Amino acid sequence: MSEPVVLLESVVKRYGGFTAVDDLSFAVAPGEIYGFLGPNGAGKTTTLRMMLDIINPTSGRIVVLGSDSAIPVRRRIGYLPEERGLYKKMKAVDSIAYFSQLRGVPRAAARKRAMALLEEFGLAEFARSKCEALSKGMAQKVQLLSTIAHEPELLILDEPFSGLDPINQQTLEDLIRNQRAAGRTIIFSTHVMQHAERLCDRFLIMAHGEKRFEGAMSEARASFAQRLHVRTTAPMDALTALGGVASIRVEDESGAETTYEIELDDGAEPQAFLERAVAAGIVLTRFEQAGATLHDIFVALAGDDDETGAGAMMKEAAE
Amino acid sequence: MNQILLIAWREYRQYVFSRGFLIFLFMFPLGFVAVSAAVGVAERTKPVRYFVVYDETGLYKDDILDRIERRHSYAVLDALDAYFRINLPEGGAELPAPFAPTQIDRKRLTAFEAEGRSAAALDIAHPMLKPGAPDFVAPRVAYKIAALPPPDASKAATMEEAEAALRPYLVEDRLIETPDGARPLFAAVLIPADFGSSENAASAQYWSRHITDAELQSRVSTALTDALKREKYNALGVGDDAVKEIEATDAPVASFRPDRAPGEAKLGLIDRIESSLPAAMTYMLLVIIFGVGNLLLTNTIEERSNKIVEILLSSITANQLMMGKLIGIGAVGLTMPTIFIAGGIGISATIDTGGQESIAMTIVSALTSSNLLLIYLFYFFCAYLIFAMLFLAIGAISNSLQDAQSYMGPVMLLVFAPLPFMIMVFQEPNGLIATILTWIPIYTPYAVMMRAAADPPLWEIVGATALMLAFAFFLMRTMGRIFRQAILQASPPKMREVWRLAKKERA
Repeated sequence: MSEPVVLLESVVKRYGGFTAVDDLSFAVAPGEIYGFLGPNGAGKTTTLRMMLDIINPTSGRIVVLGSDSAIPVRRRIGYLPEERGLYKKMKAVDSIAYFSQLRGVPRAAARKRAMALLEEFGLAEFARSKCEALSKGMAQKVQLLSTIAHEPELLILDEPFSGLDPINQQTLEDLIRNQRAAGRTIIFSTHVMQHAERLCDRFLIMAHGEKRFEGAMSEARASFAQRLHVRTTAPMDALTALGGVASIRVEDESGAETTYEIELDDGAEPQAFLERAVAAGIVLTRFEQAGATLHDIFVALAGDDDETGAGAMMKEAAE
Repeated sequence: MNQILLIAWREYRQYVFSRGFLIFLFMFPLGFVAVSAAVGVAERTKPVRYFVVYDETGLYKDDILDRIERRHSYAVLDALDAYFRINLPEGGAELPAPFAPTQIDRKRLTAFEAEGRSAAALDIAHPMLKPGAPDFVAPRVAYKIAALPPPDASKAATMEEAEAALRPYLVEDRLIETPDGARPLFAAVLIPADFGSSENAASAQYWSRHITDAELQSRVSTALTDALKREKYNALGVGDDAVKEIEATDAPVASFRPDRAPGEAKLGLIDRIESSLPAAMTYMLLVIIFGVGNLLLTNTIEERSNKIVEILLSSITANQLMMGKLIGIGAVGLTMPTIFIAGGIGISATIDTGGQESIAMTIVSALTSSNLLLIYLFYFFCAYLIFAMLFLAIGAISNSLQDAQSYMGPVMLLVFAPLPFMIMVFQEPNGLIATILTWIPIYTPYAVMMRAAADPPLWEIVGATALMLAFAFFLMRTMGRIFRQAILQASPPKMREVWRLAKKERA
């Protein structure tokens, strides 16, 4: 991997006796879409804030765009926090231009770019509307445009899909892909797995402030047991007797045949299971291989979290 | 620095270019003009107050009338002086005495009455008036005497009968007949037969429902006192003419400053303005801190509760945000007085005062002739910094104005605590209270500003200022810590946690 855009080494964040982030290390490569997954209170927002140097880590090292602190390179970063706000009395175009100016874009260029973005995203007629007059969806678009208007190299989006309707979710997915196509690196946190599955090159799963997984979807699937969907007239016992079966359950019993979902033992190959079935004279009218979904992986890795428990609440309060 | 200024400019624009501020800016002088006009109209349309005198001695009624007429003459002469200063080319200096505008004393007033009053003055001044000069409008006669109402009061034989006869008029059940028609009776003066005859003689009585308007009572009292004094002078063998001459005596006392060169030591208007400016500046500071403090508070709460602050902090540091706010909101606080002062000076400069320096220009001279302005500005900013940091920290630990209320009470008490002592410092700028306030860092700016023109001991000012700067630095650090750490917390910290935040920045 070329020099990472973001590098965290053994980062720890403690609030008094509570550890919000524990020994976290990962690296994000240039041009990557990197997902940051975890249940509420997992430490995602704390990690993102540390990356931006809004809060300091208790220990560990963070390098962003080659700098030991994000402060000198803030103009090259676009950040969309989870809880977003706009100045109510400010006009939409002024809001985008103002945040661009804060990130170093000259005034005239900032306004020009703000107008162009509003036109591109179908909000030109609301450019001069005060933010308090915009609908929630429009305001969220304006916030997003404020994040990208200064054309940052690194985009950090904290729960960008939350509160968006399906149309705007699609618009945001397109925008993220376009940003990547323009050579930018995108890190986004979410707990909606479908977006991550569709968008991410790699992702990191956190729970209780710890890293539970980092890698690509294929790597995640490979480390999980294979599942099969088979349809046959053979009874459940006959299938179990073929060996390599960790669990089996009936999916559908309509008609003379039954559909089973079979989870194979770790390391067991679907092809070998098929060969054993043929050798045993079992006729299969359906044989379908089903990999683990990101949802399955997420639940398996982070599902033991007590999302509503004291730990999560403590983290929320600390953040 | 650019980002700090950008934050400051946004804060400034948000308030100063708002419709409300512009309307206020326009309405304030308009309101001032309206109030002045209303006072003028009220003065001109103020009804004449009628009073009666029941004098069993038959000696004092004329004294009372003389006194009231003399007071009216004073008001007319005062108004004439103002009229001539504005409407004559040399400000009226070319007029002969007693009509040339100058200080009004008894001698000048007597001469004014003797030489034909305003009619004579206007006759002389008329050819010299500037083109387009308006007509002189004399102040209205405030009090007129009316005849005792017949039959009961005019024929009363005793004080009690007179009082009983006048009571229906005094409570306005009945109106009294005057040359202007039937009018309400404002007051009645009852003088008993033995008034002034001995130490134990009965006192004169002043009857009126209008107990808050004590002007007539004061004039009556002065007139009777002067009359009794005159009687005593007569008893001692001093004749009426001699008494009048004595009464017309005003002791000329000029004030001097020992710190001036012999030829320039006489106290003038500029000195009086110079000594009053500290109080004016101090009160202005209090008003600005109160107004600006609220802006800082609401503004920080808005950014915190609207979650804008996290976007801001991803672009700038918390210190930059804090500095931008301090500069921007501070500039808002200075805008209004600056506009009004500059406007006042501008308007004053356009008024032709006939070669004399206008009051506004005298104020400018007082400020610029010494280093007072610099002193004021320095302490002004120190005070602003100290209190603004408190407001910012409160804003950072509050999600709503309701949250902020519990902290605001003590802070507002701190802001306004020196107010009752200010008059003491003003009167005795180097006294004990002034010294104590000077050494309390949060009040050092107020105290030093109040004392600036009174040459306080230099060591005291330097020492107290050093202490204040150290305190301001300490406050900036602790309040800054609270601001930086609390501004991103989802729920406002509790009082105990605020103390912990102030003590140490956590990593």
